[in-house]
This record gives sequence, C-alpha cells and structure tokens, in this order.
Amino acid sequence: MKLAFYPGCSLEGMANDYARSILAVFNHLDITLVEIDDWSCCGATAAHSLSEKMAVVLPARNLAAAEIMGLDIVSPCANCFNRLLFSKAMIQKKIFDVPWTVTGSIQVHDMTRFLARPDMVERIEARVRKPLKGLKVVCYYGCQMVRPPRLTGFTDYENPMTLDRLATAAGAKVLDWSYKTTCCGASIGIGRRDIQESLTARLLEKARQTGAEAVVVSCPLCQVNLDLMQRDKASGHLPVFYFTELLRLAFEAENGSAEWFRMHIADPVPLLRAKDLLL
Amino acid sequence: METTAKDRTEIESRKVSSGKRRLIGDRGSHFLKRMEGETGANIAACYQCERCTNACPVSFYMDVKPHQVIRFVQLGWREELLRSATIWVCLSCEMCTTYCPNEVAVAETILHLRSLAAQSTIAPREKQLAVFHQTFLDELQRFGRVNEAWLMAALNLKPGILKEKMRSGQLKTEIELGLTLWRKGKLKLLPKRCEAIKEIRDLYRNRQGDRS
Repeated sequence: MKLAFYPGCSLEGMANDYARSILAVFNHLDITLVEIDDWSCCGATAAHSLSEKMAVVLPARNLAAAEIMGLDIVSPCANCFNRLLFSKAMIQKKIFDVPWTVTGSIQVHDMTRFLARPDMVERIEARVRKPLKGLKVVCYYGCQMVRPPRLTGFTDYENPMTLDRLATAAGAKVLDWSYKTTCCGASIGIGRRDIQESLTARLLEKARQTGAEAVVVSCPLCQVNLDLMQRDKASGHLPVFYFTELLRLAFEAENGSAEWFRMHIADPVPLLRAKDLLL
Repeated sequence: METTAKDRTEIESRKVSSGKRRLIGDRGSHFLKRMEGETGANIAACYQCERCTNACPVSFYMDVKPHQVIRFVQLGWREELLRSATIWVCLSCEMCTTYCPNEVAVAETILHLRSLAAQSTIAPREKQLAVFHQTFLDELQRFGRVNEAWLMAALNLKPGILKEKMRSGQLKTEIELGLTLWRKGKLKLLPKRCEAIKEIRDLYRNRQGDRS
C-alpha cells in the first residue's frame, strides 16, 4: 500500500520527533509513505484570517501534486488536514481561480482516522510485541481534526474514538474524559498568552483529575502547547505523547530508547521506566 | 431589513464613536447581504438562542459575543465589528458553527470580518495577533514553508512589537520559552526553502481581486 505523505511545517521543526515515529510506525505496518515532492505550507490560521483566496490556493498546490502522484494524502497535522479539506471543498465550488488542476480525485485522510480503520487496527494489533500494560492515558483530539463535522466527516465529533482505538491497540488503558475536543488555544499563544494558558491549564488539570498518567495527541501544536505549560516542574508532570510514539514503543519494545523522547519537555522516561516499558 | 419599534429604540440609544446618533437604515441590509454572499453563511436565520456564545471557550474575553456578532451583521454595524477585539480573539475552533441549530456559520463569519478588518484602515484591537498573521504570510512568501524560529524573529522585528513585549514583560517569558525549546532541540535554525518558491510568490502577486 502506498500513500502520499504531507508532513507540514511543524514536522520539520518542533515536531521532528513526531515525524520520526510516524516513519517508523508505517514502516512496521508495511505501508509506503511517499512525501509529496517539494510540498509547501498550507497557510494555517494566518491565510484564512487575512485572505480567503490564499486559504484556498496555498493548499491547492499540494493537492495538485498528490493528484499527479495518484495517491491519497495522509496528514499527521490536524490543521493541515483541515486546510487541505477546506481547499478541496472550495475548489469544487469554483469560487476562486486556482493555477493548478485539482479534480478532487484523491482523498485526504487524517492519520489517526486512517489507522483506526478496522483492517488497520488488526494489522497494528498483529505487530504489537509488548503491550503498554498499566499505562493510563487520556486521548486529546483538539478542534481542527474533528470540527466542523460537515467538512471533516467525523460523525462522532462530540466523542471521537480514533485515538482511543489506537492507544487501546497499543495496550494502554484509555480513560474516558469530557475534554477530548475542547480547544487548547494554541493559535492565540502568540499575542494573547494569558488566554491560551487559561485554556491549556484547565485541560491539564482535568486530565490529572481523571487519573491519567499521560495525554495522547496527534496534533503537533497541541503537543507543544500542552508540553510547554509544564516547563516548571512545580506544576506537576503529565507527559504528552504523540500516538505514533506509543505505537512505536509497543512495536519495538526491546529496542526502545530514552533518545526517542529527548524532545519532550515533561520527560516521560521515568514514567515509562516505572511501568517497565523502557529499559 | 424591517425593524420593529423595539429595535429602533435600542439602536438609537446607542451612540457611535463619533458621538452622532446612528439612524437605522443608513446601510439597509447591504452589509448583511454582502456578508451572506461572501461567506455562504446563513446569517439572517439567527434567532439569538446564544448557543454559539455558550459553546465558545473564549467568549469571556470577547467584547462583542458571538451571538451579538451575528446580530450586528444583521443590523449593518460594520465598524463596531471591525473595531472589536472579538474578531481577533476568536480561535476558529468551530464550536459555534458546529452547535448552531440554524446552521449559521458563526466562525466563518467572524473570520471573514477579520479579513475585512485586515484590509481596512481600522487599527486592529489586538495588534500583536494581527501582525502575527501577517508575519506568518510574509515568511511563507519568503520560503514557501514556515520555520518557527524565523517566524518569531521576524515578528519581533515588526515595528512596535518588541517595544510592546518589553513593556508588558512578555519578552522575558518568551525568551524562557525559546530557551526551553532550544534545549530540547525543538528549534531548527536553518529554514528550508521550497524549490518552486516562484510559484508561491506568483500567488501573492495575484492575491488581489480576490473573487473570480
């Protein structure tokens, strides 16, 4: 199986560890990820804030490139996923002129949703060598991945289950909580840090109250945002994992190394060692 | 749009910034029609149930609450909207749009107002946020992709930003954050440029005359 991979800008910088774990996981699952050749930024929040035309044409370049490759796109970043879908929908409405040919022949998949399909979950379960027994986590989806539902196609947008299914497949104990899709405020962090911190602090507090030992996310911005809130040790310690990091750990338990988690601010290594999941 | 006697008293008791009383009908429903046309949002359908405001995680920080934004558009109060903090504070988390019983695209309306404000001569209420979005697009134009370290540096070099950050003490926090990120290897100093950067710059050249 082959898929077009659209990493997005974050995966080249702050979320480099996410990119590495994704490549390892897909390698184990025998799925070839072909990076879209010379991809460009989707424009994120800035483009649709300042110019609707840019919000449509910027992602279109990548959609067109994937159509030439003839492969469905899989996007690890919630915001990129949202923007690509938005652009595709707007191009079909023919509101703006786009300099590239986009016929809408290819699908844009959110990575968690693609991997949470029953056949993929089966494949994942077959490859788990060391289930992450005893690790209690909550899954946090954020907003851009599930909303607005008419665009993203999530029918369970109030209680999405894709990350839950994947974390369960990795052997972790997934706890139920009510803040799965409450916004973490990352988009406003520069400019109004006060607002962002009030939103993020509440999420972390609720996760702790639920009894979670870690948070599982799929969005690079959510990860950095939740992790950065815990930079002073006094505020407690709740590691924030990308779901692919947990899958990778379950796949290659013997080779697991603390080096994989070097980029985390709330260091997950002591927790994993205490659970006997890491040497 | 027809107005009832109640609407009229409410509107007339409200003073515009110039101190002059505003008459209803000086804009008619032009603004409403224009907004509906440009966003595809069903704005006239709003019956003020306030579901959007109750769903909004940041309505506390807004001067014009989401349901009021929709009402203001119906009334044609364009300037009040473009001057508000609301249009910049919105996270576009889409809670409002998702839960609206009448399928009014509230978030899209607010975002469209934001882009109208950016193109107008009205000074944005949240200057840093407005400048940040612009800086992001500038960086995208320069490299085709966005590098976090360069984005922050470019933002700080914009006129007035550094001074404001120094005054508010925000600069100190940001240096701390930057150092934490640097120590963890999360900052990449060398930006990567798209090979087809020319194609992207052409987009910027043609961005005016938005609608085809």
